[in-house]
Amino acid sequence: MFPELTTDERLRYQWQLWIGDFGEEGQRWLKGATALVSRIGGVGGSAAMQLAAAGIGRLILAHAGNLRLDDLNRQLLMNTEGIGKPRVETATHTLRALNPNVEIETIAENISESNAAALVEKCDIVVSAAPLFSERLLLNREAVRQRKPLVDASMYELEGRLISVLPGQTACLACLYPEAPPHWKREFPVISPVSSTVGCLAAMEAIKLITGLGQPLAGKLLTFDLRDMTFQKIEIPRRTDCAECGEV
Amino acid sequence: MRILVQYKGQLRTALKCGEEEIELPDGGTVASLLSKLSERHSHVATQHLLTTNGRTPTGLLTVVNDAAISSLQCSMVVLNTGDVVTLLPPIAGG
Repeated sequence: MFPELTTDERLRYQWQLWIGDFGEEGQRWLKGATALVSRIGGVGGSAAMQLAAAGIGRLILAHAGNLRLDDLNRQLLMNTEGIGKPRVETATHTLRALNPNVEIETIAENISESNAAALVEKCDIVVSAAPLFSERLLLNREAVRQRKPLVDASMYELEGRLISVLPGQTACLACLYPEAPPHWKREFPVISPVSSTVGCLAAMEAIKLITGLGQPLAGKLLTFDLRDMTFQKIEIPRRTDCAECGEV
Repeated sequence: MRILVQYKGQLRTALKCGEEEIELPDGGTVASLLSKLSERHSHVATQHLLTTNGRTPTGLLTVVNDAAISSLQCSMVVLNTGDVVTLLPPIAGG
């Protein structure tokens, strides 16, 4: 049974409870859900903030390392005082200040072979926003294996892309990228409105998948280019020979 | 026939160009378009357009209007005047 809302929560979420096909039932679905967010930088941090504000029950945040000055143009969970401290520490303070009802678990590690399975096992949905294909593909593999929905959000310069994976029903990330592309570099041009936009879209997609609100992308890739404000949805077919989801 | 080609991601950065019109003979396919683009932009071709074995690079998404075209379909999909071909190299900024 999904958890009841408290009086405080009914007031906090009042304005979104007015959304007709969301309502109290959607809010209770959200309260009962756990999302794993891989990396809480410009994209994942914005996604985590939106999920916390909307009232997700539990967030698991995975991100290694300490905050640097050059993170602060886009990593909106962070602040100047946090420079030199673990990113997950500052992110937790920010999210708790925003919404103390959200339970937060942090892991000061990036996704790897040694932690991916256990982390995915603890969540209901995965939001994937690491700057490396190796981490994204690993998370995709685990999500597909454990039949957990995954939202993959990425960006470059003024462009963003979003795809949601429903294992066994839609294409997965490996259908799109069968192997890690060799020319991608971890450092990439980014300005906050772009990373935040795709992070917000990822959070909305996750909320839709958790609550049944609206129609998720499921099987379509959303691309946008804020240079000319164009948005496009592209059908991505499943690959029957996909190493990850071909036999799911 | 004239085809509008849009360049995204690192391809746009490498070419310093967001889009251009390309003239192709009638009956031209996506593969013939990529071949022509590789000749025109030879300095970025093997990384972004066609590898040395004539295949599209790993993760390059080729879209004709709103439809994704797989690497195997490139030689079968015939283009028409007014088609928009968008080339999206893989991105993973987070």
